[in-house]
Amino acid sequence: MRAAGRDLLLSTRDLREVVDPSPPTPLPGVLPGIQGVVLHQGEFLPVLAWEELPGGRRPEGPPEALAVLRTRLALPLERLVGTLDELPGPWEEPDDDDAARGWLGASVQLRGVAVRQLDVDGLLDLLRRFRSEH
Amino acid sequence: MDQSFDDVWAECEDLFGQARETLATLKEPQPAHVVQASVNALFRTTHTLKGMAGMLGYPVFSKAAHRLEDIFDLMRKGRLRSTDSLIETLEAGVLALESGLDGLRRGRPEPEDYLQPVRRQIGELEAMARPTEGQAQDLTTLLDLPPETLRALSDYERMRVTAVLLAGTPIHGLGVCLDYSTFDERLRAISEALAARGELISTLPWDLPPEREGLAFLLLWAGATLEPLPVEAGEALESRQLVDPALIPASLRAPASPEPAPERLPEGPAAPMAPVHDGEILRLPAQRVEALEARLMTVGQLRDNASRLLRRVEEAELDAPRALLSEMETGLLDVQKSLLQMRMVKVETLFSRIEPMVKSLSRDLGKPVRLQVQGGELEVERSLLSRLADPFLHLVRNALDHGLELPSERLAQGKTETGTLKLSASQWGRNLRFDLRDDGRGFDLARIEARGLELGLLEAGERPDPDRLLRLSLEPGFSTQDQASQISGRGVGMDVVRSEVESLGGEIHLSTEPRRGSLIRLTLPLSRAVVNCLKVRCEGQVFGIPLASVLRVQAGRVPLRGGERVEVLGTPIPLESLQACLSLREPEAQRTFVVLTQQGGPAGRGSFEVAIGVDQVLGRGDVLLRSLPELAQTPGIMGGSPQEDGILWVVDPEAVLGLAMDSLMRRVASV
Repeated sequence: MRAAGRDLLLSTRDLREVVDPSPPTPLPGVLPGIQGVVLHQGEFLPVLAWEELPGGRRPEGPPEALAVLRTRLALPLERLVGTLDELPGPWEEPDDDDAARGWLGASVQLRGVAVRQLDVDGLLDLLRRFRSEH
Repeated sequence: MDQSFDDVWAECEDLFGQARETLATLKEPQPAHVVQASVNALFRTTHTLKGMAGMLGYPVFSKAAHRLEDIFDLMRKGRLRSTDSLIETLEAGVLALESGLDGLRRGRPEPEDYLQPVRRQIGELEAMARPTEGQAQDLTTLLDLPPETLRALSDYERMRVTAVLLAGTPIHGLGVCLDYSTFDERLRAISEALAARGELISTLPWDLPPEREGLAFLLLWAGATLEPLPVEAGEALESRQLVDPALIPASLRAPASPEPAPERLPEGPAAPMAPVHDGEILRLPAQRVEALEARLMTVGQLRDNASRLLRRVEEAELDAPRALLSEMETGLLDVQKSLLQMRMVKVETLFSRIEPMVKSLSRDLGKPVRLQVQGGELEVERSLLSRLADPFLHLVRNALDHGLELPSERLAQGKTETGTLKLSASQWGRNLRFDLRDDGRGFDLARIEARGLELGLLEAGERPDPDRLLRLSLEPGFSTQDQASQISGRGVGMDVVRSEVESLGGEIHLSTEPRRGSLIRLTLPLSRAVVNCLKVRCEGQVFGIPLASVLRVQAGRVPLRGGERVEVLGTPIPLESLQACLSLREPEAQRTFVVLTQQGGPAGRGSFEVAIGVDQVLGRGDVLLRSLPELAQTPGIMGGSPQEDGILWVVDPEAVLGLAMDSLMRRVASV
């Protein structure tokens, strides 16, 4: 998938479903890391603000889809690239210099490019830390 | 857990609910035939539970249900009399089974004996009802009926014939001929009418006279008199008394089974029947189903409106569509409320399970207890209450077992002999609050500290405060009891209570006062609710303020700003804008404010009021509140409700009061 200006891998174990995007309604007040909420199956679903994460970048365009994580967080995706049945190579340790290391995990070489996996646990920890520090 | 069994679990829950209700009716004096109908219903319920447990693969549960079923069988056969102590034992037995079922649902292993709390009492009942050699009697031969008809009676029906005759109740036969096309309806109507006036023992096929067409039945009925006959013209073939109980030899009556004497029914309408659930699982109270049906009519109207709306939009008559849309919105809210209502149950369904348990424990422990409950009318989601039941029952058992002292100890401390246990349920903002308060000895903090050191949860030399010590008691494996008590030491610890409450997104808080008692407070978030709100506009957004916390709405004479004081009914109170509370852009000034008060009573002791400035008051209305997931929880917001023009945010009045005070303090500090 492509999100926050990067190609990323997302484990299907963390994914609940992919849905069409709808514009999120902002929450009253400031909630770092969250753009707002969308209604999904009758419940509110928070939508991530990639650009507010450390090392996060503003999306290059409107989202093509929303990836709904099992933990009930929606990730706006710029593009769905496809699925990998098998990893083409071994996982590689991430580059420590990347400011996004708190929410990105190991990388794998895809057509000569290192693509990092989204670390969902790390992302949730980060969002919770934002809340407690806010 | 296999999700495909969800329906079976739900049916089991319903069956337990029915059993509790039916047992409750047996505590009141009832005519004999009503008692009989209730006992029959309980027999069927436990029989069904036994089968379901077998289906779910729980043989020990099935065996325990079978044991209760046997007791009900003995009752319906007249070998056990319905007494207060018997009903209490059965209530405790049903409760123990229900708790056991709850444990199974959470993946706990089967206990050795579900009925352990009432094992002794049930054993006594079984021994009491066991017939001695040669005592079995069958008086059916006394009925003035052909032998082939008598042979058609089942063992149970023979037992009943014998029992009612020994009790001195006449047995009548009513032969009826019913039309082919309506015989099922008519037979049901006649049977119900007879059952309402006495005991319908059997319905047998009957010989049709040669000149008649249709189907003939003989109804065997026990009661004072068959008159007036509950039949329509031409239906009755014959009606007569089949045996006179006076003919039964006195020698046979002496060892009579403990069949209660039939009570004379009052004149006029038939006595109300105890709930009888003929194997039919009704998941919803009937009035709620009726409410749903009424709402389905509303849905029909909405569909019609939608069709009209479409036509008019096509015809470009745009004013009318607005009114129709508004009507549709109201109607849909009604439907949503009704559907939500279906998922709600009153807290009293939990409290009603606790009452018999307290009675039984009080008796077993020799500790007289006064149980006080409050807030039983509060409605919460069924799933939440169901998950909360086991922890709550454990807390009650703990309070009686360890919290309350024996009467002698209480008297020595200058307390009343009878202990008090108070249970209450209430709604506070976005939370439900369950309190369990007792006036016993309180938590033994010294003992908790010693145990904490022993378990390595505390370090030597550490001086933990009472809160920390109380929290230790919620740690896994923590118990200050040297030996597991039969009452509360059955493997469900305080850590399990905590984990269940936390898995529901709630928290548990303990407080104690030595020799004065303890308070255990469970706070759980509301997931959905219908909230009556005052709708206001601020910073272009619409907010709902729960009306339960609104004391007054007032317009100021002059523009007002946050930090100022306003006079409300002669009393100056502080004012803060809603925008400041919610970290929104503050307005220049506002003219309208809403006076919020702490829940727990306006102007009550300890309550305080703050005026919250808003841009505009829009009106009031019910909104269907949806809670916000953890990652979207925003200070001061209880949840939201999708509306025609976006999401209406419902504020949490308690939180807003706190935020307003914080904001006012910051203003003071910055001056």
